[in-house]
Amino acid sequence: MSEKPFFVGYLPVPGPFRTFLVVLSVLLVAGLGTAGFLMGAAQDDPGPGAFRFDYGRQTVTGVVALTPYPLIHVTQGNDRIKPGDTFMMTAGGKSGVDSRAIPLDGQLAQVSGIILERGELYMLQVRGGQNGLRAAEGDVPAIAVEPQGRWQLTGEICDGKCLAGAMRPGRGLAHKACANLCLLGDVPPVFVSSQPVLGSEFLLVTGPGGTRLPRTAYDYVAQFITAEGNVTRHGDLLVWEIEPDTIEVVQ
Amino acid sequence: MSVKYTPVQWNRNKWLYDGVMLAGVGAFLWIFLYVTPEVLSHERAVNPQIHNARAFGACAFVMLTVILCIGPAARLDPRFLPLLYNRRHFGVMTAFVALTHASYILNWYFNFSSSDKYVALLYANSSFGQVAGFPFELFGIFALVCLLILATTSHDFWLKFLTPPVWKRLHYLIYAAYFSVVAHVSLGILQDQRNQVFTIIFISGAAAVIVLHLAAWWAERGRSIAAKDGAWVEVARPSEMTEGRARIARLTNGDRVAVFLMEGKLSAISNACAHQNGPLGEGRIIDCLVTCPWHGFQYDVRTGRSPAPFTEMVPTYRIRIHNGMIEVHPDANPPGTPVTPVPLPAAQRSKEGALA
Amino acid sequence: MDVAQAILVVIQAWGIFGALTAAVFLTVGIERVDEDAQGAYVFRPLLIPGVMLIWPLVLWRWWRIESQRAGWAERYKPVRGAHGAAALLMSLGIIAIIVTGLSVRQEWPGDTAPVQLSDGASQ
Repeated sequence: MSEKPFFVGYLPVPGPFRTFLVVLSVLLVAGLGTAGFLMGAAQDDPGPGAFRFDYGRQTVTGVVALTPYPLIHVTQGNDRIKPGDTFMMTAGGKSGVDSRAIPLDGQLAQVSGIILERGELYMLQVRGGQNGLRAAEGDVPAIAVEPQGRWQLTGEICDGKCLAGAMRPGRGLAHKACANLCLLGDVPPVFVSSQPVLGSEFLLVTGPGGTRLPRTAYDYVAQFITAEGNVTRHGDLLVWEIEPDTIEVVQ
Repeated sequence: MSVKYTPVQWNRNKWLYDGVMLAGVGAFLWIFLYVTPEVLSHERAVNPQIHNARAFGACAFVMLTVILCIGPAARLDPRFLPLLYNRRHFGVMTAFVALTHASYILNWYFNFSSSDKYVALLYANSSFGQVAGFPFELFGIFALVCLLILATTSHDFWLKFLTPPVWKRLHYLIYAAYFSVVAHVSLGILQDQRNQVFTIIFISGAAAVIVLHLAAWWAERGRSIAAKDGAWVEVARPSEMTEGRARIARLTNGDRVAVFLMEGKLSAISNACAHQNGPLGEGRIIDCLVTCPWHGFQYDVRTGRSPAPFTEMVPTYRIRIHNGMIEVHPDANPPGTPVTPVPLPAAQRSKEGALA
Repeated sequence: MDVAQAILVVIQAWGIFGALTAAVFLTVGIERVDEDAQGAYVFRPLLIPGVMLIWPLVLWRWWRIESQRAGWAERYKPVRGAHGAAALLMSLGIIAIIVTGLSVRQEWPGDTAPVQLSDGASQ
């Protein structure tokens, strides 16, 4: 005990301490750098979703249908969006286009915006005000809604916009609060199924009987769940009316 | 302090300390932010805002882990004491890094909605009744508030104003903060992360903190307690004393006394430094002054007073040699009360001389 | 949302009280409670955030010092006893929360196929 060096902050560091501290300093800096590398390089792939600004602005015409989340059944398309396609819409930020779409329910409208795309899922972030969504002239074709029966599906409820590429990663529990915020802002919720249902991995998810996703289901957003409900086909898009009472967290 | 307060009291060692810590933090952030995107072979990169948030969040966790390891490491091995010396600066750095993480999160996940982002932060996820999906952000907010309290009350003024025991109690928030950070990670990113490297680093960091704390706690359990003999308390035999060093005795009221041998004479002062209640008895006598092992505050062992111009004082104790034992009286004298040192018996002194 | 807004109002009120306390304490009070602060001004802005965060504690200490209720001995009672308990509690809490976190962690149920419970025509 008697000859151990003694460190005093404002005095020169004693010799034996100095070597120890130099080694410790090097280890600390190297350790922090290594930790930064390992933790940074351990990040998972956030998926292929993205804003497709490279496609340019898309302007198409179609029939507005409320599920209650508004859809467009395309009647006049362009190079990328074909007649017969059905897609969801979102406004800028964490908002839907409900206030603009509801007055146009069942009518022909022109929509304009940027595509968000993740594999086969895509939606349009429409421009602000009339530029994004306005009534159009023309004949309104009848849109068939085909019941596909009752299904038990397994997967995850996400907000369609972040999932489709507004955020990477745009799903998962770390992102849950953001997803809820999007859903509260009327962004359409999308169910990612564990395996394709009638050819689709992604389904628009609503409450039973054409209602909004009930608030009780928000507790399960971003968790892997199984639940039951009727599936209907709207154009080429599947809509699942989830029954909140049947939701169970996958063990 | 006893000279006028300044914003930060610098010295060479503090510059070196801060330099090393900044280099470490800089290395972590630079590598995470700019090197790892090159390594990740994702079809599309993680959003820069999320990447930045993760970098600063991970960095804050690692910094906090290092901070929490320093204390017990220094108790187990005094060579780590220099890391304790300027730990406050590292703590303030951590608070800034954590704040940066929080602002990236707030301005990304909670922005762009029709609600105020602070309101959104508090109400977007209200799944309080479940573990998975619990609004883990709350743990992060709590930890951040703790870190901010610790960082903003780190100036020496606060120690003197609040008194070291109150200040220390307040700074026990670090334990709550660390638990909260671990909970924030466990119920947050850990739920999503599929690459187990992160899980391993995270658990190893938390485990290191736990093991070191329990080891230090265990090691200190057996430290000596003074036996009580009437009003006076036995500390040690004269032969157990070493010149320039102290023996620490715990009194029945829980206070600790440091009995020093200086120039062959015994003096007793409180073991608690006036600055942060550091263990004076583990210090040394340098230039006739007891020097605290934590931050180098000094006291004259005979009076309990710091040398001018400093004005710190610690309580002194009466001391005597009775039936071959060194004894102190458990009633402390008011801080700065001079006590005449008691010479060691001649036989003992000659033994000391022979040893020297 | 109402609760969230109410919490924010409370936080704002806390900050306003803190700012007022800081204004008074750092101009008038600090010199009365600590002679080392007399004539030292540069470091005072550094204390503003701290006062704003823990202003009730500041007011309590200020009152203790002004009313000379603070005995000298209370400065020299290190809080060692609580240290072990705090470390132990933290350790147990960490173990519990990590175990809990890992136990609820889910794997993507990619093996589970969708099940058709009834066909479309039967609806």
